[in-house]
Amino acid sequence: MKQKNSSFYKFINKEKNVGIIFCLPFIIGFLVFLIVPMGISLYYSFCDYDILSPAEFVGLKNYIYMFTQDETFWRSMKATIYFALVSVPLRLIFALLVAMILVRSSKAAGFYRAAYYLPSIIGGSVAVAILWKRMFAPDGVVNSLLGMIGIDTKFAWLSDTKTAIWTLIILAIWQFGSSMLIFLSALKQIPKELYEAADVDGANKITKFFKVTLPLLTPTIFFNLVMQMINGFLAFTQSLIITQGKPMDTTLFYAVYMYQQSFNFNQSGYASAMAWVMLLIIAAITFLLFKTKKFWVYEQG
Amino acid sequence: MKNKYLKKAAVLAMTGIIAAGSLAACGSDKKDESANAENAKELSMAWWGNQVRNERTQQVLDKYKEETGVTVKGQFFQWDDYWSKMATSAAGKKMPDIIQMDMSYIKQYADKGQLLDLTPYIEDGTLETSEITEDVLNMGKVEDGIYGIASGTSSSCMFYNKTLLDELGITIEDNMSLDDFVAISKEVYEKSGYRANLYHYGLYMDMYARANDIQATDKLGGDSAEDYVPYFQTLEDGIKEGWHISPSQAADTASVEEDPMVYGSSPENMTWCTINGSAQLTAYQAAAPEGTDIDLTTIPTTDPAKSNYVKPSMYFSVSADTKNPEEAVKLLNYLSNSTDAYDILLAERGIPASGKVTEAIMPKLSQEEQENAEFINDVITPNSSPMPPFPVEGSSQAQDLLRKLEEKVKYGEYTAQEAAGEYFTEANKMLAGE
Repeated sequence: MKQKNSSFYKFINKEKNVGIIFCLPFIIGFLVFLIVPMGISLYYSFCDYDILSPAEFVGLKNYIYMFTQDETFWRSMKATIYFALVSVPLRLIFALLVAMILVRSSKAAGFYRAAYYLPSIIGGSVAVAILWKRMFAPDGVVNSLLGMIGIDTKFAWLSDTKTAIWTLIILAIWQFGSSMLIFLSALKQIPKELYEAADVDGANKITKFFKVTLPLLTPTIFFNLVMQMINGFLAFTQSLIITQGKPMDTTLFYAVYMYQQSFNFNQSGYASAMAWVMLLIIAAITFLLFKTKKFWVYEQG
Repeated sequence: MKNKYLKKAAVLAMTGIIAAGSLAACGSDKKDESANAENAKELSMAWWGNQVRNERTQQVLDKYKEETGVTVKGQFFQWDDYWSKMATSAAGKKMPDIIQMDMSYIKQYADKGQLLDLTPYIEDGTLETSEITEDVLNMGKVEDGIYGIASGTSSSCMFYNKTLLDELGITIEDNMSLDDFVAISKEVYEKSGYRANLYHYGLYMDMYARANDIQATDKLGGDSAEDYVPYFQTLEDGIKEGWHISPSQAADTASVEEDPMVYGSSPENMTWCTINGSAQLTAYQAAAPEGTDIDLTTIPTTDPAKSNYVKPSMYFSVSADTKNPEEAVKLLNYLSNSTDAYDILLAERGIPASGKVTEAIMPKLSQEEQENAEFINDVITPNSSPMPPFPVEGSSQAQDLLRKLEEKVKYGEYTAQEAAGEYFTEANKMLAGE
């Protein structure tokens, strides 16, 4: 008995084993809730699967149909790419602007930081999505405000093929908080000496921004860009609640169309295939961004 | 030395806790399952709906427990969530014992063996059906089995703003023809600026197809796209002439509260009518501005006697996964025949299937619910045709396509000819499961 115990103590007391044991909850979670479902979805993507009846292997049929026949797929792709490419840079610019203002320490800075971060927390919620829908209704707040400055209109922002997606883009820009916080901490890390040296050389504010601040921020911009781009491609709630893809699929995001395929049309096999295509697209975009890194990202040392 | 032992003890304790935790997690799962299997006195039931339905159903289940000692765990969802939940639990063979079922899904679920055939229970008397008419009972028939009992009956109808039409001196007759409807729509539009809403959320196609004998089965009816041109033509004309609403004036939405008939700021972005299920009268009346009376009539087609039909507003079905079919059927029987239950449920799930129950609760119904009951019994039933066949897989996709095509015609992107052409080819592909 004692023998057994002591060998167990020996086993448990090895640094490696202890480490593994303490990591187990994560490892198990990762395998069971991430890798296994991913594997299953990869298999289903080659199947005709409607959830209710057993999956039936059909090879590449889903992928072939997606690329050759499904026009809605291409429309949703177009809407998503447009949304991501427009909203992400605008959001980053906005985040940087606000961060530049908030970086000056004043008594109220803490309050404003929290206040500007708020939209990031609540912005993805259903409640805000519904609020947004109301704001852009023909008799909503936006038109009332326009009326106050003399533009009397009953324009239905959400029903026009050109403006509908912009209401979603504006909502996305408004959620700039997390990028802003990251910019804030990066701004604080820029050494004061560099600005002093620039002052001595007689640089003005604009030159200082473009020659000192911006180059030193590029690693942060890069990080934000990658993270936000991924988020942009996965946008879901806004489209589902505010526009349901209307009008004429101009706001039908990829993730929403995938959801429809799986749960409204019972085509889970097809939806799984779409998920894998999205994964590849995101991987490709991330890869491309990393490839461009050496041209514009400043790395110290 | 002492320190070392402490450390060991701490490590052991931690691993112990983790192990115990994971064991406990597995354990509790198992316990639940075996409890379900052994304990005959527990059932589960799921439904979709609104707050009123949730409260009333829960009350009935509580009452059922008092009377029989059987606990029923209720789960409720919104429509979309409900079907994703049902599909996933069906895949895991863990469907609740009693499920609320819809006409658009019953065939798919029955065909795939997810529902219990109720015929043997009807034969041995566990499920009492003497108060339910043959027609209503057959609404739950798929192939040779009965897979659901209609919780009540309802019908599609046209709602209209009676107050407005009274002011304009226009009277609506039931079973109005499409030509009359177009004439009235033009008149209302000229006099008041309110538009009509007939092509609402793709719901009108069903009526159009029935009136023209081209009802969809496992493919679209009719021989060619030509059969569908008049459908989109009426819409195209309505948009051009201004009497039909388009999304640039008000969004086409499934929500009753945001329906332009009851929601809007001026005649410009509002309608005088809309189409939906007749049981929604209560909801429309509640959403309408104070002093506006909403009334209901038949949906205008070229032949209302062909297009009108009475349908189940929803069903109660028993899942094939149930470990306790006997008890589940007993609950189903209670939900179909008990006057006590309907004292609470009233006509929230449609006019009850059992004639005896309907008679008993009639005086307790609200004014809107009574209007709805009279509409179904006195207007639709005498002038209607049998219910359409159940939708096949791919129907929801075809319906989505139809909505998009209607949208394109409304925006002037497509002519009636183009929309009909695309509908005929693409919807047929979807119904064929391609």
